[in-house]
Amino acid sequence: MSAPIAPSAGQVERDRDIARRSSFLSRALHSPTLMTGAALTATIVALALLAPVIGRYSPVSQDLLHQLAGPSSAHWLGTDELGRDVWSRLLYAGRTDLQVGVLAVLFPFAFGVFIGTVCGYFGGWIDSIVMRIVDVVLAFPFYVLIIALVFVVGFGTHGIYIAFALTDWVIYARITRSATLVARNLDWVAAAEGAGLSRTRVLWRHILPNTITQPIVYAMSDIVLVILAVVTLGYLGLGIQPPAPDWGSMINDGQNFIQTNQWLAAIPGLAVVLTGVGLSLVGDGLADILRPE
Amino acid sequence: MTPLLEVDGLVVEMRRQRTAFHAVDGVSFVIERGGALAIVGESGCGKSLTLRAIMGLLPRGGRLVSGQVIVDGVTLDRAARGRGRGHNQSQRMSIVFQDALSALNPVSKIGNQIAEAPRHVLGYGRSASRARAIELLQLVGIPDPERRFHAFPHELSGGTRQRVMIAIALSSDPAILLCDEPTTALDVTIQTQILALLAELRVERGLSLVFVTHDLGVVSQVAERLAVMYTGRFVETGPTEDVLATPRHPYTSGLLGAALDVDTPEREPLAIPGSLPDPLRLPRGCRFQPRCSLATPECVTTDVRLESVGPSHLAACLHSEQVPSARELDGRG
Amino acid sequence: MADALIEVDDLSVRFGSEHGRSLRAVESVNLQVAEGEVLGLVGESGCGKTTVAKCIAGRITPSAGTVRFDGRTLGRTRSKEDRRAIQMVFQDPYSSLNPRMSVRRVLAELLRVHGLVQRAAIEDRCIELMALVGMPRDALDGLPSQFSGGQRQRIAIARALAVEPRVIIADEPVSALDVSVQATILRLFEDLRSRLGLTVVFISHNLAVVRHLSDRVAVMYLGRIVEQGDREPVFRDPRHPYTRALLASAPRLHQVELVRPVVKGEPPSPIDIPTGCSFHPRCPRAEELCSRDRPGLEPVDAGDDHVAACHFRGEKTFVAEEGP
Repeated sequence: MSAPIAPSAGQVERDRDIARRSSFLSRALHSPTLMTGAALTATIVALALLAPVIGRYSPVSQDLLHQLAGPSSAHWLGTDELGRDVWSRLLYAGRTDLQVGVLAVLFPFAFGVFIGTVCGYFGGWIDSIVMRIVDVVLAFPFYVLIIALVFVVGFGTHGIYIAFALTDWVIYARITRSATLVARNLDWVAAAEGAGLSRTRVLWRHILPNTITQPIVYAMSDIVLVILAVVTLGYLGLGIQPPAPDWGSMINDGQNFIQTNQWLAAIPGLAVVLTGVGLSLVGDGLADILRPE
Repeated sequence: MTPLLEVDGLVVEMRRQRTAFHAVDGVSFVIERGGALAIVGESGCGKSLTLRAIMGLLPRGGRLVSGQVIVDGVTLDRAARGRGRGHNQSQRMSIVFQDALSALNPVSKIGNQIAEAPRHVLGYGRSASRARAIELLQLVGIPDPERRFHAFPHELSGGTRQRVMIAIALSSDPAILLCDEPTTALDVTIQTQILALLAELRVERGLSLVFVTHDLGVVSQVAERLAVMYTGRFVETGPTEDVLATPRHPYTSGLLGAALDVDTPEREPLAIPGSLPDPLRLPRGCRFQPRCSLATPECVTTDVRLESVGPSHLAACLHSEQVPSARELDGRG
Repeated sequence: MADALIEVDDLSVRFGSEHGRSLRAVESVNLQVAEGEVLGLVGESGCGKTTVAKCIAGRITPSAGTVRFDGRTLGRTRSKEDRRAIQMVFQDPYSSLNPRMSVRRVLAELLRVHGLVQRAAIEDRCIELMALVGMPRDALDGLPSQFSGGQRQRIAIARALAVEPRVIIADEPVSALDVSVQATILRLFEDLRSRLGLTVVFISHNLAVVRHLSDRVAVMYLGRIVEQGDREPVFRDPRHPYTRALLASAPRLHQVELVRPVVKGEPPSPIDIPTGCSFHPRCPRAEELCSRDRPGLEPVDAGDDHVAACHFRGEKTFVAEEGP
């Protein structure tokens, strides 16, 4: 069969009988959900990244002569109870929270997808053991765990990363496992295996690109959840330690002044909401366009 | 005598993402009392949508743009049908679907599903509707009906499920049965049984039938009239035997030529060149002309409509006399 | 048969079930397929034909019996070369291609992994494979979602051919396609078979298709072969009532009268196979003997290649060769 072969004698398909497919970029640009979400998120991320440039003060420098000042040309969003510039604190807090949000999700994503794929494909005792572990972890109240960890590991971001690493991977594992279970029975997997490709190859090069879209979409909302958790912890005083700013502690501090200086709590709250909305829209938009037609 | 069912100029629009097109584009037919029509076409031609539009069961994204359905002289109110199964509107008609497993409620006993219409539509009491259900199970040939009443759909085989579907369709005492590929998913020996059941029901109860299928081999057993559908329109209609023996539309002839017959294995099936057009970019003039060996420039410029080509036999083709007959098709094998 | 390329010996596949009763999907199946031959495996749903196919292709391990290829018994795990030699084409064109891999990637990967051509020649070979199944070269860039059912089947066939197999097992490859497209794919099969000398096991419930393509035919019911032989003797002179029923029920274009159902009822559950001849509860010819004594697959006439599992295999019937 290595000699050149004449084309099929039967009826041949013509180019124009094959549908065209719009590229990923084209579909992305036409998705209002994705574009809105991306624009919003990109703006927030850009602002956070540019904090050293556009933040006009150090987030920790206090100015006790100008406490609780309202918005002015000197302080665009006013100052807090210690005279710190709210705008700068907002931006730097954004940096911290976004960074923690994304990093805290990385390990659970990677590990969860890996273990979910293995369980879904191979089944057997690995699957049984891992799924029981998943059940246990899911049953465990997250905040109890993190509070315990924080006391063991100490305050600050370490505790948060470890807590998420221990608990968050289970959802990715479950999602990926289901998707893999479905894919495993499809004919195209049988064809790939039957064609002599190794199971490793089929699993990681063939199945995974199909099963990974759900975890990616979930990761978007997971980042939001992490930020909220960090914010909550900050609010409880267990998160990022002062004087480093984070939106949670800003809200916490601000609630003491809710009667007089509402914006101190409202502004960081709004920042959290906008970030959440942006990421959710990105997640929704991705879900729509990643779906194979 | 007024025909039992009259469908006039049915147009159904389907919306897909940001585009819309006419999936059913002006379909008309008439069913007399006790008569049967088979509608044949390939996937995407609009045959299933036609039935659903008549019943008022259009899927999401589907919209009845125009056309009338007149049952026993009464025009069905479009608005009521648009809202879903309009109350008493579709009582004289029932529909049987292809896939009984997805059309039946998986968590409800089949007996209860059959008893539902007598109880809630016809107003029977509880034990009367139960008795009626058992009667219907018997009628459709399910043995041991008292016991089978309590079965769940997944416990039954494909053929039995399809009989249950037919029983449910009969439970509202319809005059017309709309069948959407009811035997396509069944084995061939079971298909024979179901077709025999439908024939029996026609004879015993004077049921009229509209039978949608893609299988030309089944139509001669089912209906005395045949309509061939392509891109949302009828391209040929007429008495089944006539249409099959002397097709007057190249598409019909194409379908016949592509079909394999178990009795003549040496006959080579001929593919119809080209492929179905994109519904959003239909060809000008006759929609079949890009694939047609008889096409002339006239076919591109004329909006070809159904014309009479024989007794009760209509075809939408400018060159209908040149279409090869079944005998000629067989001869070349 | 001497030197069959594929030999299936006493193949049985049983699945454990509740209450300790096993589901006998395939029971004592013997098949031989000669090189270059097309064997048609016919039966209705649940008869076990797909299970037999999967055993031959190596996707299922039989509970008993062996599959031999080129004289060698194929074990539980097969070498890469053996896996290449037997390829499957599946029924559903919409789930037989990886939605995220372009045609080129699929074909090129196979060519590379098996080292079938030089790296530089891979692209040319992909174009050739496309041409072989009647697809334009631009199709290589496409993803499955861009193709119609018939086009996808062509691509699936190209994929099967890419590894240069000796046997293709086609499991209802045209059942999900429209009639006009079926014709195209069938001609493609015929064409490939004559040009490449492929051996084909063609599984279908559609008798017309099987009669058109096959050299030999085996009819299955409830996990067993009930009739087997060269094509014309089986179709012209079927000796098992089930085969006759299948033939009678096959849709025909010019059917003057309604076909009277020859077979009563439905196939029983494979967990609950009837005693004696498994077809007897539905059989129009059955006698008391049939419920006690399971007939073996024996020649219908002395020394014949045509075998049937029926006590009354010696009785001839007339089956019309032409329609009315």
